[in-house]
Amino acid sequence: MTNSMLKIVFLVVILALILAWYLSFSATRLDRLHHRVETSWEHLDALLQRRAAIAIEIAHQPDLDPATYVLLASAAFQAREASIVERSEAESSLSQSLSLIQSEADDLGDAITPSLLSELTTISAKIKVAVNIHLEAVNAVKHLRSKLVFRIFRLAGHAPLPLRYSFEDDIA
Amino acid sequence: MNKKLKIGMVCPYGWDTPGGVQIHIKELAEYFINQGHDVSVFAPVTDDSNIQESWLVSAGRPVAIPFNGAVARISFGPLASSRVRQWIANGDFDLLHLHEPAIPSLSLLACWASEGPMVATFHAASPKQKAIYAIGPILEPVLEKLTARIAVSEMARQTLKDHFETEAVVIPNGINSTKLHEAEPNPIWQSGRTIGFIGRFTEPRKGLSVLLEAMPIVAKAFPDVQLLIAGPGDSDEVKKVFPPSIAERTKFLGRLSEEEKASFFKSVEIYIAPNTGGESFGIILAEAMAAGTPIVASDIPAFSDLLVSGEYGALFDSENSKDLAKILIELLRDQNRRQELSARALEYSEKFDWQTVAEQIMSVYELALVGNDGVKLGSENRMWNRRRLQ
Repeated sequence: MTNSMLKIVFLVVILALILAWYLSFSATRLDRLHHRVETSWEHLDALLQRRAAIAIEIAHQPDLDPATYVLLASAAFQAREASIVERSEAESSLSQSLSLIQSEADDLGDAITPSLLSELTTISAKIKVAVNIHLEAVNAVKHLRSKLVFRIFRLAGHAPLPLRYSFEDDIA
Repeated sequence: MNKKLKIGMVCPYGWDTPGGVQIHIKELAEYFINQGHDVSVFAPVTDDSNIQESWLVSAGRPVAIPFNGAVARISFGPLASSRVRQWIANGDFDLLHLHEPAIPSLSLLACWASEGPMVATFHAASPKQKAIYAIGPILEPVLEKLTARIAVSEMARQTLKDHFETEAVVIPNGINSTKLHEAEPNPIWQSGRTIGFIGRFTEPRKGLSVLLEAMPIVAKAFPDVQLLIAGPGDSDEVKKVFPPSIAERTKFLGRLSEEEKASFFKSVEIYIAPNTGGESFGIILAEAMAAGTPIVASDIPAFSDLLVSGEYGALFDSENSKDLAKILIELLRDQNRRQELSARALEYSEKFDWQTVAEQIMSVYELALVGNDGVKLGSENRMWNRRRLQ
Protein backbone atom coordinates (compact mmCIF):
# COMPACT_ATOMS: atom_id res chain seq x y z
CA MET A 1 0.00 0.00 0.00
CA THR A 2 1.30 3.41 -0.88
CA ASN A 3 1.53 6.28 1.42
CA SER A 4 -1.11 8.32 -0.39
CA MET A 5 -3.67 5.52 -0.22
CA LEU A 6 -3.15 5.30 3.52
CA LYS A 7 -3.75 9.01 3.72
CA ILE A 8 -7.06 8.67 1.88
CA VAL A 9 -8.25 5.81 4.06
CA PHE A 10 -7.32 7.80 7.11
CA LEU A 11 -9.26 10.79 5.82
CA VAL A 12 -12.34 8.70 5.07
CA VAL A 13 -12.28 7.20 8.53
CA ILE A 14 -12.01 10.66 10.07
CA LEU A 15 -14.90 11.91 7.97
CA ALA A 16 -17.01 8.91 8.87
CA LEU A 17 -16.29 9.50 12.53
CA ILE A 18 -17.24 13.14 12.24
CA LEU A 19 -20.48 12.24 10.46
CA ALA A 20 -21.30 9.60 13.06
CA TRP A 21 -20.69 12.06 15.83
CA TYR A 22 -22.79 14.70 14.08
CA LEU A 23 -25.67 12.31 13.51
CA SER A 24 -25.66 11.11 17.08
CA PHE A 25 -25.46 14.71 18.29
CA SER A 26 -28.42 15.67 16.09
CA ALA A 27 -30.43 12.67 17.15
CA THR A 28 -29.90 13.56 20.79
CA ARG A 29 -30.87 17.12 20.07
CA LEU A 30 -34.10 16.01 18.39
CA ASP A 31 -34.79 13.49 21.09
CA ARG A 32 -34.46 16.20 23.73
CA LEU A 33 -36.94 18.37 21.83
CA HIS A 34 -39.38 15.49 21.41
CA HIS A 35 -39.19 14.94 25.09
CA ARG A 36 -39.87 18.61 25.72
CA VAL A 37 -42.96 18.47 23.48
CA GLU A 38 -44.24 15.54 25.52
CA THR A 39 -43.65 17.09 28.92
CA SER A 40 -45.00 20.49 27.91
CA TRP A 41 -48.11 18.80 26.53
CA GLU A 42 -48.59 16.81 29.71
CA HIS A 43 -48.36 20.02 31.70
CA LEU A 44 -50.80 21.79 29.39
CA ASP A 45 -53.18 18.84 29.43
CA ALA A 46 -53.24 18.83 33.22
CA LEU A 47 -54.01 22.55 33.27
CA LEU A 48 -56.81 22.10 30.73
CA GLN A 49 -58.34 19.33 32.82
CA ARG A 50 -58.14 21.61 35.83
CA ARG A 51 -59.86 24.36 33.86
CA ALA A 52 -62.70 22.02 32.90
CA ALA A 53 -63.10 21.09 36.55
CA ILE A 54 -63.32 24.76 37.52
CA ALA A 55 -65.87 25.32 34.75
CA ILE A 56 -68.06 22.55 36.17
CA GLU A 57 -67.67 23.99 39.64
CA ILE A 58 -68.79 27.38 38.36
CA ALA A 59 -71.73 25.76 36.57
CA HIS A 60 -72.80 24.24 39.88
CA GLN A 61 -73.08 27.58 41.63
CA PRO A 62 -76.57 27.51 43.15
CA ASP A 63 -77.64 30.98 41.98
CA LEU A 64 -76.60 30.57 38.35
CA ASP A 65 -79.35 30.47 35.71
CA PRO A 66 -79.91 27.08 34.08
CA ALA A 67 -79.02 28.29 30.57
CA THR A 68 -75.52 29.28 31.67
CA TYR A 69 -75.33 26.00 33.54
CA VAL A 70 -76.16 23.94 30.47
CA LEU A 71 -73.76 25.88 28.28
CA LEU A 72 -70.83 25.63 30.68
CA ALA A 73 -71.44 22.09 31.84
CA SER A 74 -71.76 20.66 28.36
CA ALA A 75 -68.68 22.55 27.10
CA ALA A 76 -66.64 21.37 30.09
CA PHE A 77 -67.90 17.84 29.81
CA GLN A 78 -67.13 17.68 26.10
CA ALA A 79 -63.62 19.02 26.70
CA ARG A 80 -62.97 16.35 29.30
CA GLU A 81 -64.44 13.45 27.36
CA ALA A 82 -63.29 14.46 23.89
CA SER A 83 -61.31 12.03 21.77
CA ILE A 84 -58.05 13.28 20.26
CA VAL A 85 -59.80 14.28 17.06
CA GLU A 86 -62.46 16.36 18.81
CA ARG A 87 -60.25 17.76 21.53
CA SER A 88 -59.21 20.97 19.84
CA GLU A 89 -62.75 22.00 18.95
CA ALA A 90 -64.00 21.11 22.41
CA GLU A 91 -61.28 23.15 24.14
CA SER A 92 -62.04 26.08 21.82
CA SER A 93 -65.70 25.98 22.80
CA LEU A 94 -64.80 25.91 26.47
CA SER A 95 -62.37 28.82 26.01
CA GLN A 96 -65.12 30.89 24.41
CA SER A 97 -67.74 30.00 27.01
CA LEU A 98 -65.37 30.84 29.84
CA SER A 99 -64.17 34.11 28.38
CA LEU A 100 -67.84 35.07 28.12
CA ILE A 101 -68.26 34.34 31.81
CA GLN A 102 -65.18 36.43 32.57
CA SER A 103 -66.33 39.36 30.48
CA GLU A 104 -69.68 39.37 32.25
CA ALA A 105 -68.18 38.89 35.68
CA ASP A 106 -69.81 42.15 36.82
CA ASP A 107 -73.33 40.88 36.14
CA LEU A 108 -72.56 37.42 37.36
CA GLY A 109 -70.79 38.64 40.48
CA ASP A 110 -73.71 37.73 42.73
CA ALA A 111 -74.09 34.25 41.31
CA ILE A 112 -70.47 33.10 41.31
CA THR A 113 -68.17 32.94 44.32
CA PRO A 114 -65.37 35.50 43.77
CA SER A 115 -62.70 32.97 44.69
CA LEU A 116 -63.81 30.75 41.81
CA LEU A 117 -63.62 33.62 39.38
CA SER A 118 -60.12 34.53 40.48
CA GLU A 119 -59.13 30.88 40.27
CA LEU A 120 -60.40 30.92 36.70
CA THR A 121 -58.36 34.01 35.90
CA THR A 122 -55.23 32.40 37.34
CA ILE A 123 -55.66 29.15 35.45
CA SER A 124 -56.39 30.98 32.18
CA ALA A 125 -53.12 32.90 32.54
CA LYS A 126 -51.21 29.69 33.32
CA ILE A 127 -52.75 27.98 30.29
CA LYS A 128 -51.66 30.83 28.09
CA VAL A 129 -48.06 30.45 29.23
CA ALA A 130 -48.19 26.66 28.93
CA VAL A 131 -49.58 26.89 25.39
CA ASN A 132 -46.77 29.22 24.36
CA ILE A 133 -44.10 26.95 25.80
CA HIS A 134 -45.66 23.92 24.16
CA LEU A 135 -46.02 25.61 20.79
CA GLU A 136 -42.41 26.70 20.90
CA ALA A 137 -41.29 23.11 21.40
CA VAL A 138 -43.63 21.91 18.64
CA ASN A 139 -42.26 24.49 16.23
CA ALA A 140 -38.66 23.64 17.09
CA VAL A 141 -39.26 19.96 16.40
CA LYS A 142 -41.03 20.72 13.14
CA HIS A 143 -38.24 23.03 12.04
CA LEU A 144 -35.54 20.49 12.81
CA ARG A 145 -37.37 17.61 11.23
CA SER A 146 -37.87 19.53 8.01
CA LYS A 147 -34.07 19.72 7.53
CA LEU A 148 -32.47 17.48 4.93
CA VAL A 149 -30.06 15.59 7.22
CA PHE A 150 -32.87 14.70 9.59
CA ARG A 151 -35.03 13.44 6.75
CA ILE A 152 -32.27 11.45 4.95
CA PHE A 153 -31.06 9.64 8.05
CA ARG A 154 -34.58 9.35 9.55
CA LEU A 155 -33.32 10.70 12.82
CA ALA A 156 -36.85 11.07 14.13
CA GLY A 157 -37.33 7.30 14.02
CA HIS A 158 -40.95 6.37 14.53
CA ALA A 159 -41.85 9.38 16.67
CA PRO A 160 -45.01 11.02 15.29
CA LEU A 161 -44.76 14.58 14.08
CA PRO A 162 -46.18 16.81 16.84
CA LEU A 163 -49.39 18.64 15.97
CA ARG A 164 -50.34 22.24 16.35
CA TYR A 165 -53.99 22.51 17.41
CA SER A 166 -56.15 25.43 16.45
CA PHE A 167 -57.39 25.94 20.01
CA GLU A 168 -53.79 26.66 20.99
CA ASP A 169 -53.54 29.41 18.41
CA ASP A 170 -56.72 30.96 19.81
CA ILE A 171 -55.17 31.11 23.26
CA ALA A 172 -51.63 32.03 22.28
CA MET B 1 -112.31 26.60 20.96
CA ASN B 2 -113.95 30.01 20.72
CA LYS B 3 -112.09 31.65 23.54
CA LYS B 4 -109.33 33.98 22.35
CA LEU B 5 -106.03 33.04 23.92
CA LYS B 6 -103.13 35.11 25.08
CA ILE B 7 -100.11 33.11 23.92
CA GLY B 8 -96.49 33.82 24.81
CA MET B 9 -93.97 32.22 22.42
CA VAL B 10 -90.27 32.04 23.12
CA CYS B 11 -87.59 31.79 20.43
CA PRO B 12 -84.12 30.71 21.62
CA TYR B 13 -82.17 31.95 18.60
CA GLY B 14 -81.43 35.45 17.33
CA TRP B 15 -84.59 36.66 15.54
CA ASP B 16 -82.75 38.55 12.81
CA THR B 17 -80.51 35.66 11.76
CA PRO B 18 -82.12 33.34 9.21
CA GLY B 19 -83.13 29.94 10.52
CA GLY B 20 -85.85 27.33 10.38
CA VAL B 21 -86.97 27.76 13.99
CA GLN B 22 -87.40 31.52 13.56
CA ILE B 23 -89.46 31.09 10.38
CA HIS B 24 -91.62 28.47 12.04
CA ILE B 25 -92.36 30.76 14.99
CA LYS B 26 -93.05 33.77 12.77
CA GLU B 27 -95.54 31.94 10.56
CA LEU B 28 -97.24 30.23 13.48
CA ALA B 29 -97.58 33.55 15.34
CA GLU B 30 -99.03 35.20 12.24
CA TYR B 31 -101.52 32.39 11.79
CA PHE B 32 -102.78 32.62 15.36
CA ILE B 33 -102.97 36.42 15.21
CA ASN B 34 -105.12 36.09 12.07
CA GLN B 35 -107.34 33.75 14.05
CA GLY B 36 -107.85 36.54 16.57
CA HIS B 37 -105.54 35.28 19.29
CA ASP B 38 -103.16 37.57 21.09
CA VAL B 39 -99.56 36.48 20.54
CA SER B 40 -96.34 37.89 21.96
CA VAL B 41 -93.01 36.48 20.77
CA PHE B 42 -89.94 36.88 22.96
CA ALA B 43 -86.58 36.50 21.18
CA PRO B 44 -82.98 37.72 21.20
CA VAL B 45 -82.47 40.51 18.65
CA THR B 46 -79.12 41.69 17.28
CA ASP B 47 -80.33 44.91 15.72
CA ASP B 48 -83.67 46.36 16.81
CA SER B 49 -84.05 48.30 13.55
CA ASN B 50 -84.45 44.95 11.71
CA ILE B 51 -87.71 44.28 13.48
CA GLN B 52 -91.00 44.92 11.70
CA GLU B 53 -93.28 42.75 13.80
CA SER B 54 -95.30 44.65 16.39
CA TRP B 55 -95.82 41.49 18.41
CA LEU B 56 -92.12 40.84 18.93
CA VAL B 57 -90.49 41.64 22.28
CA SER B 58 -86.69 41.88 22.24
CA ALA B 59 -84.66 40.13 24.90
CA GLY B 60 -81.54 42.07 23.98
CA ARG B 61 -78.54 41.07 21.90
CA PRO B 62 -77.70 37.37 21.59
CA VAL B 63 -74.12 36.12 21.84
CA ALA B 64 -72.63 33.81 19.24
CA ILE B 65 -71.18 30.81 21.00
CA PRO B 66 -70.30 27.27 19.97
CA PHE B 67 -72.76 24.77 21.38
CA ASN B 68 -72.70 21.10 20.43
CA GLY B 69 -70.43 21.67 17.48
CA ALA B 70 -72.27 24.57 15.83
CA VAL B 71 -72.27 28.30 16.49
CA ALA B 72 -75.57 29.38 18.03
CA ARG B 73 -76.86 32.90 18.64
CA ILE B 74 -78.46 32.63 22.03
CA SER B 75 -79.20 34.62 25.21
CA PHE B 76 -78.46 33.49 28.74
CA GLY B 77 -77.13 34.77 32.03
CA PRO B 78 -78.63 36.89 34.79
CA LEU B 79 -79.69 39.74 32.52
CA ALA B 80 -81.56 37.49 30.08
CA SER B 81 -83.00 35.72 33.09
CA SER B 82 -84.48 38.85 34.60
CA ARG B 83 -85.84 40.00 31.22
CA VAL B 84 -87.64 36.68 30.81
CA ARG B 85 -89.23 37.07 34.24
CA GLN B 86 -90.27 40.60 33.41
CA TRP B 87 -91.86 39.54 30.11
CA ILE B 88 -93.78 36.76 31.85
CA ALA B 89 -94.88 38.98 34.71
CA ASN B 90 -96.19 41.66 32.33
CA GLY B 91 -97.64 39.27 29.78
CA ASP B 92 -100.51 37.74 31.73
CA PHE B 93 -100.39 34.77 29.35
CA ASP B 94 -102.85 31.89 29.22
CA LEU B 95 -100.14 29.66 27.85
CA LEU B 96 -96.44 29.62 26.96
CA HIS B 97 -95.15 27.95 23.81
CA LEU B 98 -91.40 27.34 24.19
CA HIS B 99 -89.25 26.36 21.22
CA GLU B 100 -86.15 24.20 21.74
CA PRO B 101 -86.14 24.40 25.56
CA ALA B 102 -83.12 22.10 25.78
CA ILE B 103 -80.92 24.77 24.19
CA PRO B 104 -79.25 27.01 26.82
CA SER B 105 -81.24 30.09 25.92
CA LEU B 106 -84.48 31.98 26.59
CA SER B 107 -86.87 29.02 26.28
CA LEU B 108 -85.05 27.15 29.01
CA LEU B 109 -84.99 30.26 31.20
CA ALA B 110 -88.72 30.79 30.63
CA CYS B 111 -89.48 27.20 31.52
CA TRP B 112 -87.39 27.53 34.65
CA ALA B 113 -89.05 30.75 35.74
CA SER B 114 -92.72 29.97 35.23
CA GLU B 115 -95.60 27.86 36.44
CA GLY B 116 -98.68 26.93 34.46
CA PRO B 117 -99.57 25.59 31.03
CA MET B 118 -96.46 25.26 28.90
CA VAL B 119 -96.12 23.59 25.51
CA ALA B 120 -92.70 22.97 23.98
CA THR B 121 -91.64 22.21 20.43
CA PHE B 122 -88.43 20.28 19.79
CA HIS B 123 -87.01 20.93 16.34
CA ALA B 124 -83.52 19.46 16.25
CA ALA B 125 -82.52 15.89 15.62
CA SER B 126 -79.09 14.68 16.61
CA PRO B 127 -77.41 11.49 17.68
CA LYS B 128 -77.16 11.05 21.43
CA GLN B 129 -74.69 13.51 22.93
CA LYS B 130 -72.33 12.24 25.57
CA ALA B 131 -72.65 15.55 27.42
CA ILE B 132 -76.25 14.64 28.21
CA TYR B 133 -74.97 12.73 31.23
CA ALA B 134 -73.63 16.00 32.58
CA ILE B 135 -76.59 18.24 31.77
CA GLY B 136 -79.45 15.74 31.80
CA PRO B 137 -79.95 15.74 35.57
CA ILE B 138 -80.32 19.52 35.44
CA LEU B 139 -82.52 19.73 32.37
CA GLU B 140 -84.84 16.93 33.38
CA PRO B 141 -86.49 18.64 36.36
CA VAL B 142 -86.97 21.79 34.27
CA LEU B 143 -88.39 20.00 31.24
CA GLU B 144 -90.67 18.03 33.56
CA LYS B 145 -92.66 21.23 34.03
CA LEU B 146 -93.77 21.18 30.38
CA THR B 147 -97.42 20.27 30.09
CA ALA B 148 -97.09 18.93 26.55
CA ARG B 149 -94.27 18.26 24.11
CA ILE B 150 -94.27 18.47 20.34
CA ALA B 151 -91.58 17.14 18.00
CA VAL B 152 -91.48 18.37 14.41
CA SER B 153 -90.45 15.00 13.02
CA GLU B 154 -90.01 11.37 13.91
CA MET B 155 -86.27 12.06 14.12
CA ALA B 156 -86.77 14.91 16.58
CA ARG B 157 -89.08 12.71 18.65
CA GLN B 158 -86.44 9.98 18.75
CA THR B 159 -83.78 12.51 19.79
CA LEU B 160 -85.95 13.67 22.65
CA LYS B 161 -86.61 10.11 23.69
CA ASP B 162 -82.91 9.20 23.65
CA HIS B 163 -81.89 12.24 25.64
CA PHE B 164 -84.65 12.65 28.20
CA GLU B 165 -86.74 9.52 27.97
CA THR B 166 -89.89 11.52 27.38
CA GLU B 167 -92.51 11.18 24.70
CA ALA B 168 -93.75 13.82 22.28
CA VAL B 169 -96.52 14.25 19.73
CA VAL B 170 -95.22 14.62 16.20
CA ILE B 171 -96.62 17.70 14.46
CA PRO B 172 -94.70 18.73 11.33
CA ASN B 173 -93.34 22.15 10.46
CA GLY B 174 -95.89 24.27 8.62
CA ILE B 175 -95.83 25.77 5.13
CA ASN B 176 -98.02 28.18 3.16
CA SER B 177 -99.31 25.77 0.51
CA THR B 178 -101.59 28.20 -1.27
CA LYS B 179 -98.81 30.69 -1.97
CA LEU B 180 -96.55 27.94 -3.26
CA HIS B 181 -99.29 26.37 -5.32
CA GLU B 182 -100.44 29.59 -6.94
CA ALA B 183 -97.01 30.97 -7.85
CA GLU B 184 -96.20 31.58 -11.52
CA PRO B 185 -93.18 29.97 -13.20
CA ASN B 186 -90.38 32.28 -14.30
CA PRO B 187 -89.43 31.69 -17.97
CA ILE B 188 -85.72 32.49 -17.44
CA TRP B 189 -85.49 29.45 -15.17
CA GLN B 190 -87.12 27.21 -17.75
CA SER B 191 -84.59 26.92 -20.57
CA GLY B 192 -83.80 23.27 -21.14
CA ARG B 193 -84.36 20.55 -18.58
CA THR B 194 -83.79 22.30 -15.30
CA ILE B 195 -82.76 20.70 -12.05
CA GLY B 196 -83.14 22.93 -8.98
CA PHE B 197 -81.16 22.95 -5.73
CA ILE B 198 -81.78 25.25 -2.74
CA GLY B 199 -79.57 25.51 0.33
CA ARG B 200 -76.30 26.68 1.81
CA PHE B 201 -74.32 24.87 -0.86
CA THR B 202 -70.95 25.42 0.85
CA GLU B 203 -71.97 23.15 3.74
CA PRO B 204 -70.81 19.60 2.95
CA ARG B 205 -73.91 18.02 4.53
CA LYS B 206 -76.10 19.67 1.87
CA GLY B 207 -74.53 17.20 -0.55
CA LEU B 208 -73.79 19.44 -3.55
CA SER B 209 -70.62 17.43 -4.24
CA VAL B 210 -72.67 14.25 -4.67
CA LEU B 211 -74.81 16.04 -7.23
CA LEU B 212 -71.73 17.43 -9.02
CA GLU B 213 -70.36 13.94 -9.52
CA ALA B 214 -73.68 12.77 -10.93
CA MET B 215 -74.16 15.69 -13.32
CA PRO B 216 -71.67 14.68 -16.08
CA ILE B 217 -73.50 11.35 -16.46
CA VAL B 218 -76.84 13.14 -16.63
CA ALA B 219 -75.45 15.67 -19.12
CA LYS B 220 -74.36 12.86 -21.41
CA ALA B 221 -77.92 11.54 -21.58
CA PHE B 222 -79.53 14.98 -21.74
CA PRO B 223 -77.26 17.62 -23.31
CA ASP B 224 -79.82 20.35 -22.57
CA VAL B 225 -79.80 19.79 -18.81
CA GLN B 226 -79.39 22.91 -16.66
CA LEU B 227 -78.53 23.16 -12.97
CA LEU B 228 -79.99 26.03 -10.93
CA ILE B 229 -78.47 26.59 -7.50
CA ALA B 230 -80.12 28.97 -5.05
CA GLY B 231 -79.02 29.86 -1.56
CA PRO B 232 -76.46 31.96 0.29
CA GLY B 233 -72.76 31.25 -0.17
CA ASP B 234 -69.67 32.12 -2.19
CA SER B 235 -70.34 30.69 -5.66
CA ASP B 236 -66.83 31.46 -7.00
CA GLU B 237 -65.35 29.26 -4.32
CA VAL B 238 -67.63 26.35 -5.24
CA LYS B 239 -67.28 26.81 -8.99
CA LYS B 240 -63.59 25.88 -8.82
CA VAL B 241 -64.45 22.24 -8.20
CA PHE B 242 -67.02 22.09 -11.01
CA PRO B 243 -66.24 19.95 -14.04
CA PRO B 244 -66.11 22.47 -16.94
CA SER B 245 -68.94 20.80 -18.84
CA ILE B 246 -71.17 21.32 -15.80
CA ALA B 247 -70.00 24.84 -14.94
CA GLU B 248 -71.43 26.12 -18.23
CA ARG B 249 -74.74 24.44 -17.46
CA THR B 250 -75.01 25.95 -13.97
CA LYS B 251 -76.55 29.19 -12.76
CA PHE B 252 -76.16 30.57 -9.25
CA LEU B 253 -79.18 32.59 -8.17
CA GLY B 254 -78.10 33.67 -4.68
CA ARG B 255 -80.59 33.90 -1.88
CA LEU B 256 -84.24 33.83 -3.02
CA SER B 257 -87.14 35.68 -1.40
CA GLU B 258 -90.21 33.67 -0.41
CA GLU B 259 -91.99 34.73 -3.63
CA GLU B 260 -88.98 33.91 -5.80
CA LYS B 261 -88.67 30.56 -4.12
CA ALA B 262 -92.28 29.68 -4.93
CA SER B 263 -91.76 30.63 -8.54
CA PHE B 264 -88.46 28.70 -8.61
CA PHE B 265 -90.27 25.51 -7.60
CA LYS B 266 -92.85 26.11 -10.31
CA SER B 267 -90.15 26.62 -12.95
CA VAL B 268 -87.78 23.70 -12.46
CA GLU B 269 -88.41 20.26 -13.88
CA ILE B 270 -87.00 18.38 -10.88
CA TYR B 271 -86.09 19.50 -7.37
CA ILE B 272 -83.01 17.75 -5.98
CA ALA B 273 -82.08 17.31 -2.30
CA PRO B 274 -78.80 15.36 -2.09
CA ASN B 275 -78.28 16.05 1.66
CA THR B 276 -76.00 13.58 3.41
CA GLY B 277 -77.44 14.03 6.91
CA GLY B 278 -78.11 16.46 9.73
CA GLU B 279 -81.73 17.10 8.72
CA SER B 280 -84.59 16.78 11.18
CA PHE B 281 -87.62 17.51 9.01
CA GLY B 282 -86.76 18.80 5.55
CA ILE B 283 -89.19 21.71 5.17
CA ILE B 284 -87.82 22.49 1.72
CA LEU B 285 -89.17 19.16 0.44
CA ALA B 286 -92.59 19.88 1.92
CA GLU B 287 -92.54 23.19 0.04
CA ALA B 288 -91.47 21.55 -3.22
CA MET B 289 -94.33 19.06 -2.78
CA ALA B 290 -96.83 21.85 -2.24
CA ALA B 291 -95.63 23.54 -5.42
CA GLY B 292 -96.08 20.26 -7.29
CA THR B 293 -92.41 19.87 -8.21
CA PRO B 294 -91.20 16.29 -8.72
CA ILE B 295 -88.55 15.52 -6.12
CA VAL B 296 -85.36 13.47 -6.12
CA ALA B 297 -83.90 13.16 -2.62
CA SER B 298 -81.28 11.14 -0.75
CA ASP B 299 -82.68 8.34 1.39
CA ILE B 300 -81.53 9.81 4.73
CA PRO B 301 -84.06 9.03 7.50
CA ALA B 302 -85.63 12.51 7.60
CA PHE B 303 -86.32 12.56 3.85
CA SER B 304 -87.37 8.95 3.68
CA ASP B 305 -89.90 9.69 6.46
CA LEU B 306 -91.18 12.83 4.81
CA LEU B 307 -91.52 11.24 1.38
CA VAL B 308 -92.96 8.05 2.91
CA SER B 309 -90.23 5.76 1.53
CA GLY B 310 -90.38 7.16 -1.96
CA GLU B 311 -94.13 7.37 -2.36
CA TYR B 312 -94.04 11.16 -2.91
CA GLY B 313 -90.61 11.62 -4.46
CA ALA B 314 -87.84 9.46 -5.88
CA LEU B 315 -85.17 8.42 -3.37
CA PHE B 316 -81.56 7.53 -4.19
CA ASP B 317 -78.91 5.79 -2.15
CA SER B 318 -77.42 8.66 -0.09
CA GLU B 319 -73.90 9.78 -1.11
CA ASN B 320 -74.01 7.46 -4.13
CA SER B 321 -73.71 9.73 -7.17
CA LYS B 322 -74.04 6.89 -9.67
CA ASP B 323 -77.41 5.95 -8.21
CA LEU B 324 -78.40 9.62 -8.18
CA ALA B 325 -77.51 9.94 -11.88
CA LYS B 326 -79.52 6.83 -12.69
CA ILE B 327 -82.61 8.07 -10.84
CA LEU B 328 -82.34 11.55 -12.37
CA ILE B 329 -82.06 10.17 -15.90
CA GLU B 330 -84.99 7.81 -15.37
CA LEU B 331 -87.18 10.59 -14.08
CA LEU B 332 -86.15 13.06 -16.80
CA ARG B 333 -87.08 10.42 -19.41
CA ASP B 334 -90.45 9.60 -17.94
CA GLN B 335 -92.87 12.48 -18.08
CA ASN B 336 -95.78 10.36 -16.89
CA ARG B 337 -93.96 9.41 -13.73
CA ARG B 338 -93.08 13.04 -13.07
CA GLN B 339 -96.72 14.07 -13.40
CA GLU B 340 -97.83 11.21 -11.24
CA LEU B 341 -95.31 12.08 -8.48
CA SER B 342 -96.23 15.73 -8.66
CA ALA B 343 -99.96 15.09 -8.35
CA ARG B 344 -99.58 12.68 -5.48
CA ALA B 345 -97.17 14.94 -3.58
CA LEU B 346 -99.39 17.96 -4.08
CA GLU B 347 -102.30 16.21 -2.45
CA TYR B 348 -100.17 14.84 0.37
CA SER B 349 -98.64 18.25 1.13
CA GLU B 350 -101.99 19.47 2.51
CA LYS B 351 -100.81 17.78 5.65
CA PHE B 352 -98.10 20.42 6.09
CA ASP B 353 -100.23 23.49 5.42
CA TRP B 354 -100.49 25.87 8.38
CA GLN B 355 -104.23 25.38 8.26
CA THR B 356 -103.71 21.78 9.33
CA VAL B 357 -100.53 22.17 11.37
CA ALA B 358 -101.62 25.17 13.44
CA GLU B 359 -104.96 23.53 14.23
CA GLN B 360 -103.09 20.48 15.48
CA ILE B 361 -100.93 22.71 17.64
CA MET B 362 -104.05 24.47 18.92
CA SER B 363 -105.51 21.16 20.03
CA VAL B 364 -102.33 20.52 22.02
CA TYR B 365 -102.80 23.98 23.58
CA GLU B 366 -106.36 23.06 24.53
CA LEU B 367 -105.12 19.90 26.17
CA ALA B 368 -102.50 21.86 28.11
CA LEU B 369 -105.03 24.45 29.23
CA VAL B 370 -107.35 21.98 30.96
CA GLY B 371 -107.56 22.77 34.64
CA ASN B 372 -104.97 25.52 34.46
CA ASP B 373 -105.50 29.19 34.97
CA GLY B 374 -102.72 31.07 33.28
CA VAL B 375 -98.97 31.38 33.45
CA LYS B 376 -97.37 32.74 36.61
CA LEU B 377 -93.86 33.28 37.75
CA GLY B 378 -92.73 30.35 39.79
CA SER B 379 -92.14 31.03 43.45
CA GLU B 380 -89.87 28.15 44.25
CA ASN B 381 -86.87 28.78 42.05
CA ARG B 382 -84.80 28.55 45.18
CA MET B 383 -86.04 25.06 45.75
CA TRP B 384 -84.99 24.09 42.27
CA ASN B 385 -81.53 25.34 43.11
CA ARG B 386 -81.39 23.33 46.26
CA ARG B 387 -82.39 20.21 44.42
CA ARG B 388 -79.48 20.75 42.10
CA LEU B 389 -77.00 20.85 44.92
CA GLN B 390 -77.84 17.46 46.29
